[in-house]
Amino acid sequence: MIVCVAVVGYQNNPLYIQSFTDADDALKLHHIVHCSLDVVDERVNNPKKSGPTLNETFLGLLYPTENYKVYGYLTNTKVKFILVTTDLDVRDADVRNFFKRFHAAYVDAVSNPFHVPGKKITSRTFAERVSTIVKSFGLSSVG
Amino acid sequence: MGREVSESCIDSLLTEMVSTYCNRFYANKPELAARRIEAIGYQVGHQLSERYTMDRPRFSDHLEAIKFICKDFWSELFKKQIDNLKTNHRGTFVLQDNRFRWLTRMSIDQSPENGASEDTSIMADNKAVQSMHLYFPCGIIRGALSNLGIPCAVSADISNLPACSFVVRIKA
Repeated sequence: MIVCVAVVGYQNNPLYIQSFTDADDALKLHHIVHCSLDVVDERVNNPKKSGPTLNETFLGLLYPTENYKVYGYLTNTKVKFILVTTDLDVRDADVRNFFKRFHAAYVDAVSNPFHVPGKKITSRTFAERVSTIVKSFGLSSVG
Repeated sequence: MGREVSESCIDSLLTEMVSTYCNRFYANKPELAARRIEAIGYQVGHQLSERYTMDRPRFSDHLEAIKFICKDFWSELFKKQIDNLKTNHRGTFVLQDNRFRWLTRMSIDQSPENGASEDTSIMADNKAVQSMHLYFPCGIIRGALSNLGIPCAVSADISNLPACSFVVRIKA
């Protein structure tokens, strides 16, 4: 289950952060997202990969904590997407697919002429789309 | 997806936008009109670059980003690539389009054989109007590049229509 997703701008400014838990742990999740930004920077500045996977937008598992797994994605425009999940065995393909759809939703949201670049995304359509994507996460692997 | 846009509509919209800004909103302040039109282009470029870079790995250097503008970005916008790219390897790039789509509908100045003095004034006038139409594409390029993390200044040169060259100067 995905517990939190976040969009972080190129200056590490939060653009959208949403948790999907009933428990009152939003602060903790935000803290995890915040910590993951350093890992993203580290990955980008010291790339271990080479060849075609170099500079790939999907950054993979950033770091596992006791209860969570954190995945990252960095777009060409230096916008970071962070995904926090409680699932222990997550298929890479599922995460990739999730980020792909999430990215599409993000692009549609910022293409709104009334959206101010660098400001928080307040679009309700975007929020709805994100929650649909979050709900459908990993369903393909079950079936 | 694959949504399409009518080309003639876009042509008319651009012409109308330029004329509205130059003749109605800022009739006496061409610099201000230019700045406004450039700003609209900037926003458009900013958003388009987000969309068109979706399925590709991140760019490792400036040249790669410029190449992207010349090839994929230009193909998406104008269904053709930039014809010639020149650079001095010190942050200045010249992107030349031999048949820039948004200028193909413009009347090209006749060769100055008639030589009358009123002709030269009309020609100068034409040049001013044509360059006004180029602030929008300049803004698009600047918006796209700055969204990719490359702050720059873009200017356009129309010495031989309908060819047009855009000069990109990357700010250090």
